[in-house]
Order: sequence, then structure tokens, then C-alpha cells
Amino acid sequence: MTFAEALRANQSMVFSLAYHFLRDRGAAEEVAQDVFLRLYRKMDDLESAKHVTFWLRKATSHRCIDYVRKRASRRTIALEDTAEPPAVDQQGDPLLNRRLRQLIATLPEKPRMAMVLRYQEDLTPEEISDVLEMPVRTVKSHLQRSLAILREKIERSMGDIR
Amino acid sequence: MEDFERQLKYALARKPEPPAFEAKALAAIAAAKPERRMLWRWDALAASVLIAAGLWAQHQHGLSERAAGEAAKARLELALKITVTELSKIQKTVRTSTEDE
Repeated sequence: MTFAEALRANQSMVFSLAYHFLRDRGAAEEVAQDVFLRLYRKMDDLESAKHVTFWLRKATSHRCIDYVRKRASRRTIALEDTAEPPAVDQQGDPLLNRRLRQLIATLPEKPRMAMVLRYQEDLTPEEISDVLEMPVRTVKSHLQRSLAILREKIERSMGDIR
Repeated sequence: MEDFERQLKYALARKPEPPAFEAKALAAIAAAKPERRMLWRWDALAASVLIAAGLWAQHQHGLSERAAGEAAKARLELALKITVTELSKIQKTVRTSTEDE
């Protein structure tokens, strides 16, 4: 797999991971560009398309968490003010989707990234544990607690959707 | 999968990358390449400076060794001269005392 092929095949995945985690289009693009620059330097060490995708998910997750930690000391962004990129094929209730994304953005960094990897990339807790380098038990606990928090908040703000 | 989790999947569906993302990424990589070449040039320059400094230090060491050798030779010559002078004086004294007897 050449670098250009890896870029084309994974650009939406990398940008979306960063966007759902950061909720800032400009920051997500900056992080995604940086991740691909790192991939270019690392490309010779990666053996297959699967390995490239795994490396990209891992690099993006860690780069996003670092970005938020550095940014926390500089400035904060009002989440409601950020423009949303258009969805390719939007499903479900758009208002509820938007509210869920806003609530996910309020979760602590690691549980938030675990949620994005689980529901954007459809990864299992074991796969998330490899990407985030944390025990499977911790991943499961982050996911369960985050689901409970989101459910409670969404029920409080929009009514029971179950 | 229950409805709430399905709703989360919809909310976190992949978004398309921004327009011209691929071109910008390739441009960023192209811009980063000369920087790497420049770093290599600085490495080469630093290595040359270190080699030159090493050769100069070696040369200086050689010069100081030669100077030390010259000084030792001069000291030896002086010591020999003093010894010859003293021996002449002793010889003269012995000769004078022998003649007196």
C-alpha cells in the first residue's frame, strides 16, 4: 500500500475521529494533517493496510488527547458555536444526534475517545484496549459509565428515547 | 443493539474530510521534506566542524610536544656546559696542588 492510497482510504476516518472527539473542525483538520505527516515518516515500518488503519486510529486517538490537554491551558471553545461538517448519509433524528455529540464532548478524555472508537469505528472493547493502551476492563467500565451518563442527561433534556 | 446505542452510531457516523484535504496533506509533507534535508546539512556541517577542531587540537598537541623537546635539549646542553666548566676547575686545582708538592 502506497502512502497516497493510505491517505485516500483513511482520511475520512482520521478526520472524523478527531472531529467527534474535539468538536472543532479546524482543530480536527490540523490534527488529521499532523497524523498523516507522521504516517508518511512511519510508512516503511507498516506492513499491511490493516496495520496502517490500526496505526492511524492509535496515532489519532493519542494526538487528540494530547491536543486537548495542551489546549486546556490556552482557551476553551463554546461547543454550540462550532460549525458541523455535513454528514454523508445522516440517519436518525438530526436534533438528537446533535445533542448526543454535544453531550459526548463533555465526557472526560479517555472515556470520550473510547465512545468515539466504539460507535464511529464499531470497535470491540478488546480492540479499543489495544488502540488506547489500557486494560479491557477499564475500557468496558468507561463505556458503561459513559452510556449511563449520556442516557441520564439525554432523558433529562429530551425525554425518554428508549 | 438497543435503540440508544443505534442512535449513538448515527450521531457518531463518519464525516467526510474537508475539501482539498488530500492536497493539503501532500503539500504539508512536501513542505516538511526540505526541512529534513536542511537538518541533514546541519548535521554534516556540525560533523565537519568537529573533525576540523579535532585535527587542530592534534596539530597544537604536536607543536607543544616539539617545544617541550627543544626546551629539554637546551636544559641538557646547559647542564653539560656547567659540568665541563666544573670539571676544568677541579682539574686545574688538582694540577696546581701536584706541582706545589
